[in-house]
Amino acid sequence: MEHWILVYGLVKEDEEAKAVSPLISAEKRIMWVKRIRGFWQEFGRKKIGVIGLFLLVFFVVMAVFAPWLTPYQPLSSKRVATGFAVPEWIRILPESQNLPSTHSMSFYWEKGEESEFIKAWGHNVEAQFEAETMETVYVRFNASISYPETSPPDEFYITFVWSAEQINDIEYLLKMIVVNPKGEDFLLWTEGWNTKNKGQNVYQNSYDPLLMDRLGLKLGVDNLAHNIFSEKGEYNFTLQMALKPQTENAEATITLQNANLVTLGSVHGILGTDNQGADIWAQVVYGARISLTIGLLAAILETIIGITVGVFAGYLGGPVDEILMRIVDILLCLPLLPLLLALVALFGANVMYIVLFVAIFGWQSLSRIVRSHVLSLRETSFIECARAAGATRFYIIIKHMIPNVLPIAFASMVLSVPSAILFEATLSFLGFGDPSAPTWGRMLSYAFGAGGFTHEPIAWWWVLPPGLAITFLCLAFVFMGHAVDEVINPRLRRRR
Amino acid sequence: MVFRKVYVKIEQFSLTKGSATVRKYLLKRVIIALLVLWVIASLNFVIFQVLSPISPERTILDPQFTPEVRAALRELYGLNEPILTRYLYYLRNMFTWDFGVSFRSLRPVSDEMGWRLGNTVLLLGSALIATIAVGVPMGIEAASRRGSKLDIAAIGAGLFTWGVPIFFIELLFLIFFALGLKQLLGFQVFPLSHIYSPSPPTDPILFIADVAWHLSLPLLTLTIASFGFWALYTRNILLESLTQDFVTTARAKGLSERTVLYRHAFRSTLPPIVTMITLAIPGVVTGAMITEWIFQLPGIGRWYLSGLLAGDYPVVQSVLFIYAVLTIVANLIADLLYGALDPRIRIGERR
Repeated sequence: MEHWILVYGLVKEDEEAKAVSPLISAEKRIMWVKRIRGFWQEFGRKKIGVIGLFLLVFFVVMAVFAPWLTPYQPLSSKRVATGFAVPEWIRILPESQNLPSTHSMSFYWEKGEESEFIKAWGHNVEAQFEAETMETVYVRFNASISYPETSPPDEFYITFVWSAEQINDIEYLLKMIVVNPKGEDFLLWTEGWNTKNKGQNVYQNSYDPLLMDRLGLKLGVDNLAHNIFSEKGEYNFTLQMALKPQTENAEATITLQNANLVTLGSVHGILGTDNQGADIWAQVVYGARISLTIGLLAAILETIIGITVGVFAGYLGGPVDEILMRIVDILLCLPLLPLLLALVALFGANVMYIVLFVAIFGWQSLSRIVRSHVLSLRETSFIECARAAGATRFYIIIKHMIPNVLPIAFASMVLSVPSAILFEATLSFLGFGDPSAPTWGRMLSYAFGAGGFTHEPIAWWWVLPPGLAITFLCLAFVFMGHAVDEVINPRLRRRR
Repeated sequence: MVFRKVYVKIEQFSLTKGSATVRKYLLKRVIIALLVLWVIASLNFVIFQVLSPISPERTILDPQFTPEVRAALRELYGLNEPILTRYLYYLRNMFTWDFGVSFRSLRPVSDEMGWRLGNTVLLLGSALIATIAVGVPMGIEAASRRGSKLDIAAIGAGLFTWGVPIFFIELLFLIFFALGLKQLLGFQVFPLSHIYSPSPPTDPILFIADVAWHLSLPLLTLTIASFGFWALYTRNILLESLTQDFVTTARAKGLSERTVLYRHAFRSTLPPIVTMITLAIPGVVTGAMITEWIFQLPGIGRWYLSGLLAGDYPVVQSVLFIYAVLTIVANLIADLLYGALDPRIRIGERR
C-alpha cells in the first residue's frame, strides 16, 4: 500500500546530481554538509529533541568525569557510613539537624606519666623494658579525642597496629579502655596474657557480639556506640599494658602506631548509603558509564546488522529476501526476555555478552523498514540510471542504497539505545546481570532484595536514584529519537 | 510491552484480493508458526541440553549417591543416548505435552504447569485488554484534536512508556500503594503478593473478588506502564489515515466529524492496530514475567526465573516452549482477526 519513509530531501538531490553530470567528490561532500546542516536546523527547532540532547549531555558528563565526581569506587565494600545512612543534605530539615556524619579521627598514643620505659618518637610509641625485678610492671598510653557531634553515631570502629619485637621470657596483657565525658569507662578491647603473639592489626567494631556480651549488652537491643558517644566532648582512650617477667633475662620492645577511630554517621554524601554502608552516589555515577556503553554499543551493532540484512533482502530479492524475511518473522515471535535470560544464565553474565545478545535479537524491525525503503528506491530513476551506466549490484548497494537508508537507520538507532539499556537493566534487576559491573539495574535489584523497600522509612535515596537515572537516560534517547524521526519522517510532520 | 520499536511494516496490508491468496496467506502464517515453534524447541534443546553447564548431575545428583544410583539416574534422564536420538525424543515429548520431571519438586512439569499457566494467562490477557481499552480511545481522541492538551498527553504517555522501565514503575507502585498506604492507614489496601489470600473464600463470587483484589495492583501498574504505547501508535496511524482521500470524500459528503473519525478513518486503522497487537504479545509476556517476579504472583514467569536460578531445566525449557506457543497462538488469532477486519479480504472471499 504505502512504503514507510520518504527521506528528508535525499532522493531528489541524488537524482538531480546523477542526471546532470558524473559526481565530483567535492560536490558530494558539500551535499552531505548541507544535509547535515539542514538536519541540525530542523532538529534545533524541536523542543523535545533539545531537551533530550541536554539530558544526554548531562549523563555523558557524568560518565566521562565519574572519577572526579566521587572519591569512592562503585564496587568497593568500604563502609563510608552506617547502613541506610540518609543523604547529607537532609540535615537542612529541622528534625534531622542533629544526625551525625562520619568522622575518621587519627590519633597518637601518648607517653604515659608513670613509666620511664616508654619512648616516643614521631607517630609511634615504643615501650622498651628490661626486667629488674620479678614484679609485674604496668605501662599506660593515652590518647584524647574530641567527638564533634551532639548525637551519637550508630556504629564505630577503632583500628591500630601494635607489634612486639625482641620479646623474651615475658608474658604480657593489653587492654584498651575508653572513658567518656560522663566518666563512664568501657573496656573496648583486650589481648589476654600471652607470650606468642608478636603483633596485630587491631580492628574493633562496636557491633562485635563478643564485645557486647563482655560489656553486658544485649545484641540487637542495646547499641554500644550510643552508650559511649552520648555527647559532644573529649573522650579519653587508654591502652594499658601489663608486663610480667618470667626470668631475669626478660626484655621486650613494643611499638604502637597508626591508631584511628571512625564513627560512622547516619548521614552521608549526596545520596546516602546502601544497606552495606557503601556510597550510593558513586554507584549512580559509574552506572552512567556502563549504561551508556551498553546502550550505544548494542544500538550500533543492531543498526549494522539491520541495515545489512534490510539492504540485501530488499535489493537482491528472490530467495535471499525470502529466507531473511522468514528469519525476521521468527525473531519477531520470540519471547525475547526469557530467551535472553536463558542465554545469559548459560554463557555467563558478562556485559559484552549482554550487548551481543541484545544486538543479535534486536535488529529485525529496522531490517524490515530498510527493506521496504530499498524496495521503493530500487524503482527510482537514479538507480535505473546507475544500472544502465553499468554499475554492479555491489556498487549500487554501497554507493546508493546504504547512504540513502542511513537517515532512517539513524533514527532507529537512537530509538534502540533505550531498549538496549532497558534490557540490560531488566536482566540486572532480575539478578542475571554482570556481577562485576556496577549497573543501575543491579542497584535496584539489591535494593529490592536487601531491604531497601522494607526498611523504615523506605530507603528512597537508594531506590529512586537508579530508577530515575535509567528513566531519564532512556527518555533522553526517546526524546531525541522522536525529534529525529519527525525531522526525517515527513509523514508525521504537522500539516500547515 | 515496551521493548520493541514503534515501526511496523505496512506492506502486509497490500494483501491481494481473492480467497485463494487469503488461504495461501493463512497457510503461510501457519507454516511460519510451526517453524517458529520448531526453532524455539531446538534452541531450547541446544541451550539446555547440549551447551548448558546445567545438568541433572549438578542439580539433583547428590555427591553421596553411589555410582550405581548415578548411572540409573543418567539412564532415567536418557543422558546416555546419542545426541540425535535425544533430540528426536525431546521433540516428540515437547509436541506431545510431555515435559519431563522437575528437578526441584520431582513431579511432572505438565502437572505443575496448569494452574501457573492459568494465572499467567489471566494476568496477560487482562493486562492486554486493559491497556488497549485505555490506550486506543485516547489515541483516537488525540488524533482528532491534534495539538490539544490531550494530544500532547498522548505523545507524552507514549514516550514515557518507551523510556521508563516497567519494573521501576512496579516497584514505585509497590512502595506507594502496598507498603506506603499500609504505613499510612494501618491496614493493607493492596496486597503485597500472591494471587489469592492464604485461605481463599469458598464462595465463588467472593473468590473472584479476592483474585481481582490481588490482581488489581499488578494490572494497574502494567496498564499505566503500557497504555501510552497504544495511545501514541493509534494516534500516528490515525493521523496518517486522516490525510487520505476517502476521509476527504466522507467529509465532503457532509458526514459529521465523529462519523468520519470512527466509521471511516478509525475503521481503516484497525488492521495495523491488530498487527501491532500481534507484535506486542512477546512484550506483554516479558512485562508479565517481571510483574510476576515483583508482585510474587505464582505464574509461569516467576516459575521460569526461579527455575533458571536453581538450574531446573525441565521446567525452564518447557516454560520457554510455552511462551513460544502463547506468542504464536496470539499471532495466529490476530492474523485471523485481521482477515475478518480488512474489508478487502472479506470482499475477496465473497466473490
